[in-house]
Amino acid sequence: MKKYFYTDGYTNFGPFTLEELKYKNITPETNVWYEGMGDWRKASEVPELAALFSSNIASPPNPPNPFQATGQSPFNQSADPQNKAYDPFLNTVPKTWLVESILVTILCCLPFGIAGIINAAKVESRFYAGDLQGAQRASDEAKKWTKIGFIVSIVMTVLYVLLMILGVVGSIFNYGN
Amino acid sequence: MDLYLIMVIKKYYLWSIGIILLFILILTYKFFNPIQYDIFPKCPFYVITGYKCPGCGSQRAIHYLLNFDLQNAWRQNFLLIIAIPYIITGLIFEYQKSPTPKMLKWRKILFGYKAIVMVFIIVIGFWIVRNL
Repeated sequence: MKKYFYTDGYTNFGPFTLEELKYKNITPETNVWYEGMGDWRKASEVPELAALFSSNIASPPNPPNPFQATGQSPFNQSADPQNKAYDPFLNTVPKTWLVESILVTILCCLPFGIAGIINAAKVESRFYAGDLQGAQRASDEAKKWTKIGFIVSIVMTVLYVLLMILGVVGSIFNYGN
Repeated sequence: MDLYLIMVIKKYYLWSIGIILLFILILTYKFFNPIQYDIFPKCPFYVITGYKCPGCGSQRAIHYLLNFDLQNAWRQNFLLIIAIPYIITGLIFEYQKSPTPKMLKWRKILFGYKAIVMVFIIVIGFWIVRNL
């Protein structure tokens, strides 16, 4: 099935099926593109999209919520970890791990936190360029770095506390002698 | 023991341990100032290079925050102080199961690509400025 993208001249949205595109409020003037098409074209110039505008007139003035229309909550992508492969209905940004990366940066390990933040930026930029798999890869990468940061901070703290206890116990014994 | 009770304990015991540890941590950070006691881990970056990292001072800042001393907390690490409201907002957005279109718009403004680039610049900028 053809996958369509549309753009507001600044950010690209998609890919969508024809059915999903109906709910995206595009106008005849909106630039659209699908794979195989040379350059962006006005929606009104694409025959199968021209039909959208005639049906739009009949639709109620308040278009339905796009997320209700697809039956998907935008953030439940992680609900089904098996289905990480491309799924046109899950056109939602993967988790960026930005918050976790900031926490890792401030509370523990700068390099891992920075790696997380850079990958968070990649998730966003790739997603809005239409590269869903790339965005998911960056999301997994960001998750990996925040996880490493989290584990390293716990291990370091436990080691430190253990050494402190050993040191304290050792010094008590030395004092006794 | 009642089988049901055992199941409940099994299900939540990791959470219980986590909450107890968190509680101990909070008490430790509230009543012991990391400046005065050696029990707190040192920043390896600072120990090795002598330069502060963006996270240096956060343990002291947490100590002052837990004692409602915002001024001293700010002085120790203001990045942590400005990050706290941002992080809380981010967590709310992240765990919102069915956000409204308005929330999605704000999510994009506050946590989209441009926002992430800003966060990156602030962290690196703070790192440089605090070592001048």
